[in-house]
Order: sequence, then C-alpha cells, then structure tokens
Amino acid sequence: MSLVSFAKVQNDDINSLKQTILESLNLVDYSFHKETKNVVIKPNMCYYWDYSTGQTTDPKFVAALIDLIRERISPSIDISIVESDASAMKCKYAFRMLGYEKLAREKNIRLVNLSEDENEEIDIKVRKYNFKFSFPKTIRDAELRINVPKIKYMDFTSISCALKNIFGCNPTPSKYKFHPRLNETIVAINKLMKFDLHILDGIIVPGKSPRKLNLIMASQDPVAFDAAATRIAGVNPRTVKHIVLATREGLGSISYIPKGELLETFAKKYPKKTTTTKLLTLAYKIATRTRLINEAMIEKG
Amino acid sequence: MKDMTKTNMGLIGLGYIGKVHLTNCLRLKNARLTAVADISKKALSTARKLGIINTYQDYNDLLSNPNINAVIIALPTHLHAECARAAAEKHKHILLEKPLARDTTEGKEILSATKKHGVKLMIGHDIRFCTKSQNLRAKIEAGELGEIQVSYATNISSGPFIHRAEADAPKPVPEWWWDKDLTGGGALIDLGSHMVNLTRWYFGEITDAKSYLGYRYNLEQEDHAVCTLKFKRGQIAVISVGWFSQQTDIKLEVYGTAGHAVVSYNPPSKIATAIQLMLRRTPSFYISYLNEIQHFVDSIQKDQQPQPSGEDALRDLEAIEKAYKNAIKLS
Repeated sequence: MSLVSFAKVQNDDINSLKQTILESLNLVDYSFHKETKNVVIKPNMCYYWDYSTGQTTDPKFVAALIDLIRERISPSIDISIVESDASAMKCKYAFRMLGYEKLAREKNIRLVNLSEDENEEIDIKVRKYNFKFSFPKTIRDAELRINVPKIKYMDFTSISCALKNIFGCNPTPSKYKFHPRLNETIVAINKLMKFDLHILDGIIVPGKSPRKLNLIMASQDPVAFDAAATRIAGVNPRTVKHIVLATREGLGSISYIPKGELLETFAKKYPKKTTTTKLLTLAYKIATRTRLINEAMIEKG
Repeated sequence: MKDMTKTNMGLIGLGYIGKVHLTNCLRLKNARLTAVADISKKALSTARKLGIINTYQDYNDLLSNPNINAVIIALPTHLHAECARAAAEKHKHILLEKPLARDTTEGKEILSATKKHGVKLMIGHDIRFCTKSQNLRAKIEAGELGEIQVSYATNISSGPFIHRAEADAPKPVPEWWWDKDLTGGGALIDLGSHMVNLTRWYFGEITDAKSYLGYRYNLEQEDHAVCTLKFKRGQIAVISVGWFSQQTDIKLEVYGTAGHAVVSYNPPSKIATAIQLMLRRTPSFYISYLNEIQHFVDSIQKDQQPQPSGEDALRDLEAIEKAYKNAIKLS
C-alpha cells in the first residue's frame, strides 16, 4: 500500500505554503534528488477559471513549490510549467489570465504549451483499446515530473484529480474526441507519462460552491492519491471507473496508508454536491443541449 | 404570394448574440428573416435548418440582395463601422449591436453614413426593453421617487468568458476579444455601454465621467471598472462593471428625495431556465431581446426613429471615452 499525506495549511503566504508542502512530502518519505537537472510541473488549468473558484491551481502554490525545489535541489535547476490547448482554452491566454506569465517572469521558469512542443507518436493499449498519443518532448525529457491537481466533481468521470489532470498533458487540442473512451484514455496517458509526485493544491476547492479547505495532500502513487481525494469529496473510489481501471492497469493501489491529519476532518468540510443539485444540473444540461432553447423560442412565438 | 406587409430582414453575424437574434427574428409576426451572413459554414448550416433560405459567407452579398429592407448587425465591434457603412450605402435600415463603435470617430462615421443614405439606425440596448426598466422610467418621470440624486448601476458577469457562467459545454472565446484594438476597450465599453445608456435614458445628459480600471486577468483591456458619471441635472451615478464573476448580476438602484427603487435584471436560475425550457417556454432572459427587435421592425413600418438611436449611442460613447481619459489604472 502507498502512503498518502494530509497536511493542513495554516497560512497561505508563500513561505508557509512551502513549509506545508515540505511537511506533506516528509510524511510520505519523499525527498528530492540533488542531481536532478530539470523538473516539469503540471498544474490544473481549466478554461479561464480563476484560482479563487477552486477550479485551477493557485499560482502562489506553484511559486511555493518552485521555491522548495530550488532550495532542496539547486537554485539554477531548470523548471517548466506545462499545459496544453483544449477545445475551449488556449494555453497562451490561460497562462496570462491565470497568473502564470507573471510567475514565469518572477521565478525565471519556462511556460510550455505542450500542443506546440516537439513530440513523438507512441502506441499504448488499455484493455482492448489501442491508443496513439503524442508524447511531448518537455515531459519525456524531464527528470522529475510533478503533478499539482485540484479535487473536482466532473460530469464524465465523477471525480477529477491526479489521474485526470495528466489527461491535460495530451497535446491534442480537441480533447472532447476522447470523451467516448475517457476512462481508458486517462489511464493510457498516465501509463505513457508517469509522474513522480502528486501534490494537491486543496487550499480552495470547488464542489457545490468554492470553499477554503486548506489542505495539501501528497503521494507518489496517483491511484492512492485519487482514492483518498475521492473520499474527501464524499465519493467511493471503487465507483470511479478510471480509478478502478488504473489499479487494474498497475498504475497504483486503491488502498493507501494515510499520514498526517485525519482525512475525515477535510471530508466533513468539503462542499459536497447533493443529489438534488446533481439532478437539476443534469436537467438543465439536457434541456440546453437538445436545443430546446431554439425550438421553444420559435414555436412559442 | 409574398406578404408585402412584412419587413424583409437580414442578420449579419451568428455569434453568441447573433444566435439569440436569429431565433427571435423567426418569432416576429410582421417581419421575415430571409437571409443570414456569417463566416462560419456551420453557423450557416444551423440557420438553413431553421428555414433561412439565403445564407452568405460574405455580408456584402447579403447587402446586395435588393429584397432585404433591414439588417441586424451582430458582428465584433471592430467590424461595426465598415459593415454599417456598407449597409447604409445599400439603403438598409440598421439595428447595430452595442457598443456603437470602438470610439467616437468611428461612431460619427456610422452616423454620417446613415444620415447620408436616409436609413434608420438603432443600437441594441436590450435592457431598455425590459418591462421593469420601462416601469422605473415611468415612475421617475411621474415624480414618484422625488428628484433622483444618486444611482448605482451594476453589470457584473463573466463577460466574454461564457463558460464560467454556464454549466453547458465549454465555449472558446472568439479571438477578437483578446485584442484591445479590436474591442475598443474592456468591461467598461462592453458592459458599461449598457449602463451608461440606461442611466442617460433616465437622467439625461452627462457632463463629466471618471473611472478606476482593474486588470485582475492581466489582459490589455480592463476586466473590471468603477465609473462615476455626473449628469447635467445634478444626479450622480456610479457604474460598476466586471468580467470576473461566474454569477451574473445586472441591476440599477435609484435614490430620490421621496423614495428609492431597485430593479434587477438577473437571468433566472438554471433550475428556472430548465423548467421554462422543459415547458417549451421562452427563457425570460431573452424576452427583452425579442421586444427590442419588435420595436425596430415596428419603427421601420411606422417610419419612426427607433430608440436608442445612433445619436444616443454616440453620447454614450463620448461619456465612456471621457471615463477612459479620466481613468486611474489599478495594477
């Protein structure tokens, strides 16, 4: 079983965050290797949502992580923040709007749009499905890969956290094309691009409405990490298809050994979605997606 | 046989608001939407499915259609002047989406072209066509609130970042929105133009304007602003606008010597919208847009000047320009 740590954020200034990230890493017995030459950090950027909504990784959290890496490895280590274009999001604008351009200037790091990166086509199989993905050079060449996801509810997968965030390393902008086989795709990409470390920015979480959860989680096992995160959001990880599939495909263990603060403390505070909210959201989506707006407006004229 | 009592209309631009106009045009009893133009083949295909016979990728082709009497222009702001001039030259009456133009120079060019060719020009400020707005105006004019001294107008939403405010599928932000040279400004000209127009409708001409401009999202344009307007008759209005929120809030508060009133234009909740759609009713948020087009068509048929006019929108733009000129930019 893998270790998953839970650390409470007492203060969200960069120095305090750095200390809490370090505490969460110590709890899972992780230490940085001095000889590491380059690091890739994959935050969660989703559309142009502000970090205060809980939907995207706070650049301040990434700043604290960068400071920690430089302190523990080397002040001159090469650090890249990676993201890719999506159906409705362009990396260049997301970097600017979400504060990563400013962070890159301040910390002298690289911002890499994986959709424009040099890449290599790789075949990978999950269950009976064969996938072909572009493997971006920046990720391929990185000696240390760090995933900094958020915990979110998501329509297609029920929960989005570490495994789902790596789906964003797929350089293809038209990601919706993968939605019919999303669970398999998530697992395939994680098999291809293995990340060494997963650290949750749980300072603010989205849920039913944004809320300060003040949580940092860490693990080297993305499946254990997601299983724990899923529990915090009030969902049984064994009901989340991509987590179960990732276990079967050998990406990690659904069971974990918790370290640090009690998971239940954070689970109690997580703004869970009620069944009524879920049903009403679904009704709204069905109504709009079936183009009833157009029909209603014309026919009722 | 064609019904000669109907105004033949063309719609140019099938973006977010263009689609709303498309469905509303199809509901008008005294107009016939005969043509649409958009660069997107997909959008034109949708229009054809809704029964629009003439679809064009170049709006000049639509304007060359002699059977069209009037057009709705729902294009990005930087294309307003060029398209409105072309429409005027082809003697089409024009309903032009707000803001009138990127600046007063372009605005004056539009007005000059419409005057030269004798066509009517109306600017799309749908908020005026909410019953609530009209009732409030009647109340103010009747003196029920005494003399208005202070007003607060708010228009806060996700702006062009529509997905932030809707649970539906993500929508890309059209490229022009990222370029200040194409938009003419940020939240102040985009959302503020509605509120400036509304307060001017209530209180008359503006003599001074100042603003604070905010840049939370590091864009070229301001993503939020607070603007103070001083009116000739002594009222003061504070206008707050923003593109930063997932929750839309559009309202106007007026405070007079005898009383005060608050009017809210917020869209109904997703739950209410879902119920309206399930019952096959028009979502209430879109009704003001329908009333707006109806007024435009009625004005053409009665040979009256539709309101708000081009001159009206030019005054709005002058106030906004003044507010930009007298702005304090926040980092």
